[in-house]
Amino acid sequence: MSDELVVVRCQLGEREAFAELVTAWHGRVERYVGRMLGRADDDVVQEVWLAVVRGLPRLRQPDRFAPWLFAIARRAVMNRLRDAYAAPEPAAPDDQPDEASAVVDRELIAGALAALPAREREVLLLFHLEDLPLDACAQICAVPVGTVKSRLNRGRRLLREELLRKGYEA
Amino acid sequence: MTPEDVLGRLGAPLSLRRRIAYVGVAFLGLVGAALIGVLWATEPGLPARTQVSFAVLVAIGAGWAAFGGWAITRRTPLFARDRVVAGWLGLVAWTVFTVGSMVVAPAVPAWLIVLVALLGATAAANLTHAIRTRAALLRRKSELGG
Repeated sequence: MSDELVVVRCQLGEREAFAELVTAWHGRVERYVGRMLGRADDDVVQEVWLAVVRGLPRLRQPDRFAPWLFAIARRAVMNRLRDAYAAPEPAAPDDQPDEASAVVDRELIAGALAALPAREREVLLLFHLEDLPLDACAQICAVPVGTVKSRLNRGRRLLREELLRKGYEA
Repeated sequence: MTPEDVLGRLGAPLSLRRRIAYVGVAFLGLVGAALIGVLWATEPGLPARTQVSFAVLVAIGAGWAAFGGWAITRRTPLFARDRVVAGWLGLVAWTVFTVGSMVVAPAVPAWLIVLVALLGATAAANLTHAIRTRAALLRRKSELGG
C-alpha cells in the first residue's frame, strides 16, 4: 500500500490507518532524531508524532508526506539543538569537485556524523540515509536547492576529513 | 520506543470519546448562552438584578463554549469525517438557536435577524466545505486503490 494512500486514509479519520502510518515511519523518525541529536530521545520522537497527528488534517499534498514529516522532525530537533544552529554558517559556498563521494557510505556516515555541524549533518542524513531527493531536502530545511548542494559538498568534505582523522582510507 | 508505545501515547488526541465530550460541552454552553442572550435582548424592562443574573449565565455558557471550541480545534485534530460531523452539529445548533429565539422572543429586532442569517450561512458553508473535502479525499483513496 502506498504512503499516500495511508496518509489519505488518516486524513479521512480511519483510526487503523494511524497504526499503519506509525509502523511504517516510526523507525525512520527515531533514526533521524537519534542521529541528529547523537542519542535516542523518546520525548522528541513523541513530540514529532504528536505534531504529525495534529497537523495531518492540514497537509495539502499527501504525496509529499515524507518532506513534511521530516520538516516537523527537524523543527523538533532544532528546538533541542538551538545552540548548534545558532553558530554562523561558513559564508563562501564550497564548489570544489566532490572527491569524497567515493567514501559516502551509509554505515561510515552513520558512524562519523556526530562530529559534523548540525546543518551539514542534517542534509547528509536526509539525502544519503533517508534517500530523499534534493528538492525535498530543500523543503525540509527551508533553504534553496543550491544551498542544500553546497551543504552536501561541505558535509562530505568534513565527513571525509573526520573519517580520515579516525583512520579510514578514502 | 516501539510503534505500539507511540500509538499508546497518541490515544488521547485521537480519542473519539474525548472529542464528543468537548463538542457536547461547547454545544450546551453555546445553546444556553444564546437562548439566555436572546431572552435578555428581547425582553424589555428587566430589573437590574435579573440583567446581572443573565449576564453571569451568558458568561458561563460562553466560557464553556469557548473552552469546548478551543479544545476541539487546538487539542484534538479534526479529520475529514470529524469535520463533516462538526458541520452537521453546527447546522443543528443554528436551527435550535433559530427556532428557540423565534419561540422565546415576542418581537425579533432586525439586527438579530441579520446576525442569525449570517450564522446560518456560515454553518451551511462550513458543512458544504467539509463534505466536499471528504468527497475529494474519498475519490483520491479510490484512485489509489483503497
